[in-house]
Amino acid sequence: MKPRIGVYICHCGTNVAATVDVEAVTEFAATLPGVVIARHYTYMCSEPGQALIKEDARTLGLNRVVVASCSPRMHEPTFRAASHEGGVNPYQVEMANIREQCSWVHPDRHEATDKAKALVYAAVMKAAHLEPLEEREAPVTPGALVIGGGVAGLVAALDIADAGFPVHLVERSDRLGGRVAELNRTFPDLEPVAEWLPALVDQVRRHPNITVYLNSRVTDITGFVGNFEARVGPIEAGLAPAQIQVGAIVIATGYNVFDPRLKPEFGYGIYPQVVTTLELEQRLSSGDLTVNGKTPKEVVFIKCVGSRDQQLGRPYCSRVCCMISAKQAQLVRQALPDARVTVFYMDVRTFGKRGEEFYDEARRAGVRYRRGNVSEIYRRGERVVVRVEDTLLARTVEHEADLVVLAVGMEPRPEAADIAALLKLPRSADGFLLEAHPKLRPVDTAVDGVFLAGCCQGPKDIPDTVAQAKAAAASALIPLMRGVVPMEAATAVVDPELCAGCGMCVEICPYSAPALDPLWGVSRVNAVLCKGCGACAVTCPSKAIRLQHFTPDQILAQVEALVGW
Amino acid sequence: MAQKPAALVIGAGIAGIQAALDIADAGYPVYLVEREPSVGGRMAQLDKTFPTLDCSSCILTPKMVSVGQHPNIELMTYSEVVAVEGEAGAFHVTIRRKPRYVEEDLCRGCGACAQACRMRGRVVDTFNQGLSKRSAIYVPFPQAVPLIYTVDPETCLYLTRGVCGKTFLCKDACPADAINFEQKERIVKVDVAAIIVATGFDLMDPRTKPEFGYGVYPNVITGLEFERLSSASGPTGGKVVLNGNEPQDVVFIHCVGSRDPHTGVPYCSRICCMYTAKHAHLVRDKLPNARITVFYIDMRAFGKGYEEFYDRVKEERVIYRRGEPSEVYRRGDRLVVRAEDSLLGRTVEVEADLVVLATAVVPRADTPAVAQLLGLACSPDGFFQEAHPKYRPVETARTGVFLAGCCQSPKDIPDTVAQAKAAAASALVVLHQTRSR
Ligand SMILES: Cc1cc2nc3c(=O)[nH]c(=O)nc-3n(C[C@H](O)[C@H](O)[C@H](O)COP(=O)(O)OP(=O)(O)OC[C@H]3O[C@@H](n4cnc5c(N)ncnc54)[C@H](O)[C@@H]3O)c2cc1C
Ligand SMILES: Cc1cc2nc3c(=O)[nH]c(=O)nc-3n(C[C@H](O)[C@H](O)[C@H](O)COP(=O)(O)OP(=O)(O)OC[C@H]3O[C@@H](n4cnc5c(N)ncnc54)[C@H](O)[C@@H]3O)c2cc1C
Ligand code: SF4
Ligand code: SF4
Repeated sequence: MKPRIGVYICHCGTNVAATVDVEAVTEFAATLPGVVIARHYTYMCSEPGQALIKEDARTLGLNRVVVASCSPRMHEPTFRAASHEGGVNPYQVEMANIREQCSWVHPDRHEATDKAKALVYAAVMKAAHLEPLEEREAPVTPGALVIGGGVAGLVAALDIADAGFPVHLVERSDRLGGRVAELNRTFPDLEPVAEWLPALVDQVRRHPNITVYLNSRVTDITGFVGNFEARVGPIEAGLAPAQIQVGAIVIATGYNVFDPRLKPEFGYGIYPQVVTTLELEQRLSSGDLTVNGKTPKEVVFIKCVGSRDQQLGRPYCSRVCCMISAKQAQLVRQALPDARVTVFYMDVRTFGKRGEEFYDEARRAGVRYRRGNVSEIYRRGERVVVRVEDTLLARTVEHEADLVVLAVGMEPRPEAADIAALLKLPRSADGFLLEAHPKLRPVDTAVDGVFLAGCCQGPKDIPDTVAQAKAAAASALIPLMRGVVPMEAATAVVDPELCAGCGMCVEICPYSAPALDPLWGVSRVNAVLCKGCGACAVTCPSKAIRLQHFTPDQILAQVEALVGW
Repeated sequence: MAQKPAALVIGAGIAGIQAALDIADAGYPVYLVEREPSVGGRMAQLDKTFPTLDCSSCILTPKMVSVGQHPNIELMTYSEVVAVEGEAGAFHVTIRRKPRYVEEDLCRGCGACAQACRMRGRVVDTFNQGLSKRSAIYVPFPQAVPLIYTVDPETCLYLTRGVCGKTFLCKDACPADAINFEQKERIVKVDVAAIIVATGFDLMDPRTKPEFGYGVYPNVITGLEFERLSSASGPTGGKVVLNGNEPQDVVFIHCVGSRDPHTGVPYCSRICCMYTAKHAHLVRDKLPNARITVFYIDMRAFGKGYEEFYDRVKEERVIYRRGEPSEVYRRGDRLVVRAEDSLLGRTVEVEADLVVLATAVVPRADTPAVAQLLGLACSPDGFFQEAHPKYRPVETARTGVFLAGCCQSPKDIPDTVAQAKAAAASALVVLHQTRSR
């Protein structure tokens, strides 16, 4: 169809108009090939501004629209919608950014006007080549897969199930509850785990929408947001694997604790006096704190074992050990009122709600805090000696102890690597799974429809784990409740006549969108997975891939306009 | 659409914005009520954000635009909730929409009125923390959503004195004839199934710690004032300049009012260690030769990538000194920070020409009133109380009412966003159950 282009120049109040001569740009635009009408207006994005586009599109039979205004990041959706209402395909709308890229950065009126003309010219030339594209939606399988049955997985499963969707909860071990099931009491209220965790597990067990797979793991995942297919295999051989279809996946595979044998100077595994905080939880539950049959009189806690330690390749803070030490120190004081309890620390990080108050309570209960770096632990008779560089006194002290508790840090589970590999999920430098944006998308991932809950994303305490698990549930509920997912219209398409079947696009695509068709030996791009990044199009040696909306003739028309200016 | 139950979100900082977007994206209608003329909350005032240093407005503005345009969100700015009756599934909410004295559907946000206003350059700009002046008719910041001007009833000459010269300069200037001093407040009633409270936080007035000289020495400022000073869209265009001078020595003080049960608040404010590290980095970036000292008690860099950021800042010639400053006083034309350095075990004095106070995060002053309105409890620290500290961090004692963001306790942006999404999940469950009843 012959291009019939409408051009609209926005004043943006005075933002554009103060530096750019909008009338001159409009007059110039009217002379360009294919342009049927050119107008300028104070605020194109306002209701009357949009009405201009709609009205012209209908009465003048426009089939292309060019808006010269602010960045397309602001108002491209607005102008696409307005044009669409006037009968123009939204993908035949082009924007020229004459604010951020022109009036805001060029103070000289003459230069700014000249550049605005060039930008409008390039946009018009490109618009003439734009093709109509169709926005489509894909249906969503109602249901979710939750991998990992710790607190994070339990909470995420409950929210999704309560919102009316079937949930498949897959847990590797033989029980639900994760690490918390190994704990005695939890900070900051010292509530026994037995008083709340079993109820949570029970709620999941009895929920009509939740199917629990114990002793199981996910061995294969294919598909894309809205339509994943997963194979759940029992860890014991002999049982048949289950094949399940879901619309969204929540990963809640948790964490491991640091193995203190990697710090041999602490003598863990050699001296029975030296235990980890995780082991102390079990001892607190059983009520047996004796070492070699004797009740300890001197108890020492050492923080940041395997955290904040660049030499060990663990530069990060594990976020919970300060609170765990404050908790266990209080519980030891209660269990052994005659024992002296000392905590060695670098910084006390008790930042959560009631955290600082909890730390104050520990000190009021007689727990002694000393700032210092522990260099080694060695045996002296029936006791061990903790050698510390006291950073407040600036000297080395030796502290005898009957029981030494190492506040071991958190680290990624090795099994998480399998899941990451199955889904092509990136990991951050610390090895935990990587969120899509550190601030505004803390539970989304690079893969649409796959979300992170709990400590698999990074260390956290239970309240933060629960908040994040519910957050992942919210993200999962969006496609499930909508029932459809939008598909990118500007996708890559392969010309089977030109494709040599080399598979380079398959390798380069970060979203696994292209695949070689085994029958024809040519590549095909799955339009649901394609994000339109264009990596394949530039890689393809046969020039068989065209990225719609960014085709060579469209881009070249724009470039030629600017180069020739 | 019409028969679907709706949610109410109170407060449109990043917490309220995120919660509203999640619910709306899942297909349910949302009323988003914000007291100020624009959405955005505190995050709109920040310069860059730790630990990745992306610019706060650059990541926030697209979300603000989304809530402004979302077909499922009805945005009510410059409004307050005045009554809530009923129960989960069927709350009846009364909202007071304050008069802007500007017609919302006519104003195009061009700013001609503010240019013309007789009070131009004479009204303290609270968005810039008082570091600049604006007109009596204003938008809080250029990216405001909605971009509609508001007449400040406290400073407008006509509204306070009944006259503004011979003629209204603003009305004469307005090309859209949008200004209407006859506008009255409106009362709107809506029915919702679930409510999310996302009213955020305040900062402690550092004058409650007179030993630091805030309000006495102009070069003692708060962390939030530093954000405006450092922001490219702030009053100095991003230059760290005070009274025309670039500081040579900058001292940051942590925990001003926090962790201080006697003269401040007993809790830790959770964000100040990290934003101070960020500020120290920004000063280093802008003033390569400045001497920068940070006084701290414990350095709490606990989030993902935070310890690594702290390590980086220490390598940028920022001196971290462990110790609690006892006072700030004037010596000649400079300031002196006196502190007990607990590593050296003695008193030290550090000269400064800029002192930045990391003031405590405190509950909004009207928290008890909002709690009463909604039938919520407050915890001993004064923030809203969650139903259970561990496994129900966003629920409240009142079924169907949920908490998001800093109104529950201080948090950084990642934790705020996670909690906001968590509140959205809880609300979605109620909406679903209400609908299928
Ligand atoms: C000693 C100690 C004491 C603590 N005390 C407290 C406290 O008092 N208060 C507090 O708030 N926090 C405390 N914590 C922190 C608390 O343990 C965590 O916040 C919580 O366990 C995180 O839950 P999660 O579900 O993310 O991970 P996890 O508890 O690790 O659960 C993950 C689950 O996923 C399963 N899984 C892993 N990989 C797979 C796979 N590939 N397929 C299927 N399933 C898989 C695991 O078997 C496990 O059941 C403590 C931690 C420690 C180490
Ligand atoms: C100096 C400083 C620097 C910071 N730097 C960073 C950083 O670099 N990185 C980071 O992650 N975090 C940072 N933060 C923290 C960040 O600001 C908060 O995490 C975030 O703003 C919390 O958002 P919120 O929505 O909970 O609260 P707010 O931003 O306070 O928003 C609450 C909203 O509710 C509205 N409201 C209040 N009461 C009512 C009512 N009754 N009715 C209607 N509306 C109401 C308010 O007007 C406001 O718009 C910083 C904080 C400060 C003070
Ligand atoms: S355009 Fe990008 S996402 Fe689409 S197939 Fe090519 S490489 Fe993959
Ligand atoms: S009435 Fe006067 S003071 Fe008020 S907005 Fe108009 S010009 Fe400004």
